[in-house]
Amino acid sequence: MNPKLILQASLLALGLAGTAGVYAADIVKWNAAGGEEEEALHLKPDLENGMDVFEVCSACHLTEGWGVKNGTFPQIAGQHRTVLIKQLADIRAGNRDNPTMYPFALPESIGDAQALADVTAYIAKLPMNPEPGRGPWPEGTPEYKQGGKLFKDNCVKCHGDHGQGNAEKFYPRIQGQHFEYMMRQFKWIRDGKRRNANPDMIKQIKGFSDDDMKKVINWVTYQKVDPKLLAPSKDWTNPDFD
Amino acid sequence: MKLNKSLAIAAASLMTVTMASAVQAGGAELFQTKTCWSCHGKDAKTPILPIYPRLAGQNEQYLLNQMKDIKSGARNNGQTAAMKGVMGMVNESEMAEIAKWLATQK
Repeated sequence: MNPKLILQASLLALGLAGTAGVYAADIVKWNAAGGEEEEALHLKPDLENGMDVFEVCSACHLTEGWGVKNGTFPQIAGQHRTVLIKQLADIRAGNRDNPTMYPFALPESIGDAQALADVTAYIAKLPMNPEPGRGPWPEGTPEYKQGGKLFKDNCVKCHGDHGQGNAEKFYPRIQGQHFEYMMRQFKWIRDGKRRNANPDMIKQIKGFSDDDMKKVINWVTYQKVDPKLLAPSKDWTNPDFD
Repeated sequence: MKLNKSLAIAAASLMTVTMASAVQAGGAELFQTKTCWSCHGKDAKTPILPIYPRLAGQNEQYLLNQMKDIKSGARNNGQTAAMKGVMGMVNESEMAEIAKWLATQK
């Protein structure tokens, strides 16, 4: 076994250590300045290399970056670049446990901070799936209405009036995201499993029941995404990978 | 583009398998569409990390048991955390197809 592989293996073991059954209590400091995140944010992205790097990501997130409708893998196309950089850097630094993605996020798989700068620029420009996985209650149902109320009272300040997020503040676009993916992340944030969660959000959703959670996320999945960000149809395929 | 080539090879090998047996084609295709190959390698013997297992030629029943146990949580040691999240996409008859196909690979 060569030393690089041994290093890779031990890194992975470290990465997994925090995930064994226990909900890790150590929430990391939200967006502490510095590190690879800071570095990648200030590098000039090379889209051509970003496309090459994206091939690794596409093994799970698909060449369109749309993930899977059932939420196993999130849609990353059209996400704010700052959010993508932060999450990738967090996963690499061990601040967000994601054992499935961890080996793919390693420098050995995708490259250094420049690669982060490149691939995130490419992903952010990908058109989004116009038909993501949605919740069970469309507009007109009482549950939809209740979800909208919960959103207005708890979420707009950071995620925007229609879940568009805030690039400058690293708040993700959640409109267009798959229902089941958001259900999982919301729960992990509320229950303290997602260690790089924003403490303001943890506090804000502390009192949410599972029922509240389902309704508010359901509402988000029916919000309109700016048509300029959407692919022309759900059958669109990424021509870069034809 | 590298992916073009690998997809072409995958398509070609899928066709070969399809001609050999309809049942086997199911397993080969599922191995790709359920993203097993992202970690275990397109040939099921070049995993992305050395601590992930080579699956080609493994015993069919053993493969099926591991998939079932990882999905149910009965097995939750080692690297299973990396795989459990994906198993929500795979039902038991699909697991059986994948296991059957993997066992035939060399």
